[in-house]
Amino acid sequence: MNALRDQAHELVEIARAAGADDAICEVIESGVQQVRFSNNEIDAVNCWNDSHAVLFVALGKRTLVSDLQDLSRRRQMAKELVSKAAKAPEIKGYGGIGAGKFKYSPKKADKRIAQLRGASKFVHDAISGAESAGANNVGGTMYVRHHRTGIASSGGAFATDELASMDLSVRAFSQPEASGHTVCCASKLGDMKARETGERAGHLSVKAKNPILGEEGRFDLVVEPLFMGSLMHYTQNMLSAMWVEIGKSMYAKRLGKPAASKAITLVDDPITDSISRRAFDHEGVPTKRNVLIKSGVLKTFMHNTSTAKRFKTKSTSNAGPLVPTLFTLMAQPIAFHPVVEKGDWSREEIISDTKDGLYLNNTWYTRFQSYAAGDFSTIPRDAILRIKDGEIVGAVKNIRISDNLLNFWKSIDALSKSTEEVYWWDEASPPSTLPMLRARSMNVTRSS
Amino acid sequence: MLEEDIALSTLKAAESGETLLLAEVRLEERSTRQLAVKMGQVNSSSSTQDAGMNVRIVLPTGIGFASANVISKAIGKNLVEKALKQAKSARRKTLINLSAEPSVQTNWEVRQRKPLADQSSEDKVELIGRIDRAVMKTKVKVQGRYYELKDYEIGSYFANSEGTRIRSFLPRVTIESSNMVTSKGESEQSLRQWGASGGWEKVEEWGLEEALPAEVRMLKKQIDQGRKVKPGVLDLVCGPEVAGIAAHESCGHPMEADRIIGREMSQAGRSFVTPDMIGRRIGSRYATVIDDPLIPGSYGYYPYDQEGVKARPRYLYKEGLINEFLQNRETGSRMGVRSNGSSRSEFYLREPIVRMANTFVAPGDFEDDEMIGSIKEGVLMHSFTEWNIDDKRYNQKYVSREAYFIKDGELGCPARRCVLEITTPGFWGAIDAVSKKIEFSAAECGKGDPMQSMAVFTGGPMVRLRSVKLK
Repeated sequence: MNALRDQAHELVEIARAAGADDAICEVIESGVQQVRFSNNEIDAVNCWNDSHAVLFVALGKRTLVSDLQDLSRRRQMAKELVSKAAKAPEIKGYGGIGAGKFKYSPKKADKRIAQLRGASKFVHDAISGAESAGANNVGGTMYVRHHRTGIASSGGAFATDELASMDLSVRAFSQPEASGHTVCCASKLGDMKARETGERAGHLSVKAKNPILGEEGRFDLVVEPLFMGSLMHYTQNMLSAMWVEIGKSMYAKRLGKPAASKAITLVDDPITDSISRRAFDHEGVPTKRNVLIKSGVLKTFMHNTSTAKRFKTKSTSNAGPLVPTLFTLMAQPIAFHPVVEKGDWSREEIISDTKDGLYLNNTWYTRFQSYAAGDFSTIPRDAILRIKDGEIVGAVKNIRISDNLLNFWKSIDALSKSTEEVYWWDEASPPSTLPMLRARSMNVTRSS
Repeated sequence: MLEEDIALSTLKAAESGETLLLAEVRLEERSTRQLAVKMGQVNSSSSTQDAGMNVRIVLPTGIGFASANVISKAIGKNLVEKALKQAKSARRKTLINLSAEPSVQTNWEVRQRKPLADQSSEDKVELIGRIDRAVMKTKVKVQGRYYELKDYEIGSYFANSEGTRIRSFLPRVTIESSNMVTSKGESEQSLRQWGASGGWEKVEEWGLEEALPAEVRMLKKQIDQGRKVKPGVLDLVCGPEVAGIAAHESCGHPMEADRIIGREMSQAGRSFVTPDMIGRRIGSRYATVIDDPLIPGSYGYYPYDQEGVKARPRYLYKEGLINEFLQNRETGSRMGVRSNGSSRSEFYLREPIVRMANTFVAPGDFEDDEMIGSIKEGVLMHSFTEWNIDDKRYNQKYVSREAYFIKDGELGCPARRCVLEITTPGFWGAIDAVSKKIEFSAAECGKGDPMQSMAVFTGGPMVRLRSVKLK
């Protein structure tokens, strides 16, 4: 892996020699296997093997970044990038790159995952688990990922990182409108519980049988970590300094003020073992655990070096990908692994304490009519279970949560003492570790 | 770079020693430039050149797909081995077949009057700067101003084991804007996109120096003069943008055959439509929705899909009846029909799947002012902001960005954040008039795993819905 770091260092040196004042280079080698399945069978098996280098250069305040895909031409392309950067537009708000004598704490990847070839067995286990629990139609995705990264920068970054991970998503149906969805994330092979994941999805699908049309009104929502993972996608975006700058954040002007109920402490923790663990951000600055919301109070936005300078603060080492990626703004600071700290309720206690509520397994298609205010709606999917007087009394369908996300966070009054790492598609993303929780009196609507 | 002999030698390796249903090889090179401008200042810029290849192998018992960001004969051979191994590992009991399609040998390209590659960074920054200055000149308080401009050219060479050979060149350009207007302590947002296949001349045709100042003035008017709709049953005229998103979300998506057979069940979801619903009524006789990849200059333009099948317009809903699903070769075969050229992939690292292109409500014979003039009491929802739909594509919601009350055939004050929350048959069944004039919007459609963002148009004329519940 040191070879990747050395390649990165070489490209930084070439860029510097060609006239760049600042340079960051990340050389990434990745192997990804994917098995997609539906209707209880494997549909397609895909694999991607990729080596590329992301090179960022700055000449004064003129910056340019490129994804160098053809590494055989990397030296030439690095020089060309510096030449192009000389003609690139000046970025007045450019604040430089992370600089210092950095110390990194990389962790070892599980070699058993890194060396795993063929993930079909896990898929067959998941399907069989769901079927044994009562599902008759099972679909999903299994990923095995292995990423090795070397980084270097003119600011002193010089490091390597490696991560091997697996993530499984299982959606099981017992009827055409009765489904359950579960996921399993593992950075150690032994943590991949494919059969159990299938069984949980199957059980949920059985509980969701014979749904009736949901009612409109205000209900207490008991939501699974997977549901929260989807809302976390938007929450963490709005905690990014870039989103605050362009007016797309309900957290603007809330620093030091209440932004959630006192029960909520939200942390971005790239250090902990997870499928999105990182030793450094995309500027090469060592990552750290950042408390974003503490006991309901907003403590900080997430920053890279440039946004930190504009906000007159320090980088939180949350620099995001330097090349544009789907669903993020260019050069946006991002969360790597959001964690909501656990509470002291058992999952059963949360349900039994709920008089008039809904138990929600998953959600999707969260959209905002006002990012600035947090006004949004989201569509629960999979098991939607009606809770009356502390008991699940049946399943419902066709509802929508139409409320305010800030209000949602402020209305949380119970968090489970168990947490789960969740990641699903681009909805529950980035990977996060979350408890089950309850939000009081949320507005539920439905189609006429 | 896109050398035919690399593709053919890769195909030859795929065909040796195995009984395949199909082998496909795609070589692709792409040049992409991207620029972000935030609050009047450039925020970041990127420039990337990329080339790679993929191999897809279809066996009766499985499909294997492998790709690499390098193009060479040796890599091609290696991809064949991987794709073959993966296809074998699937061990499907439900056997795969493919619709029979004629082989094609052709070259196609989208011409550019002003090539995208010739535009300098200075030209682009100057354009966005002019737009931003025009927005600022309105004196409207626009607290959030963010623009991203992206342009790219894709060169491709595709070959399959049935003799199809297609070389293509497709330039595309898009601008996304995000504006947040405040007035009287309240705010409204506008997130918009323009896109086309073609050169820089397309950007000049968009007239953004007029369109975006008009947009922020409109948002201020919505805040300053808008009133909430009293919830109840009213007539509704949907503008082209709203008709277009409904066409995309509650017609295009549920009519994707891969979704109907369950292939996307754990991601984008399934569909309320089942294979036996062809011919079933879903809307009034005024509800015709077409998906047409052949609209010249459109953002979703392509003349051949990524399986080499000739593209054609697809009449998804026709006069209120479920008429035709979007099909690729695999789904077509399973449903006993031909592919209708709906197979697309974002780029060479992704497998082709069933996708929309340009989805729109077919025009009718009303003038726009007749649509409004015929309403006693109702709302014109010209455009939308928040929207969503469930994963079976049956329950949808559109919240207005720009809307006005209609009283006795005349437009009144803005109807602020008017909400239509309605079922799919409820929407399409309530239409009783469609206007002549059609307009399109560019969008990125998300589907697949890994997520593939696909360039599409949504569009339509004005459509009139009678007696729908508004909030």
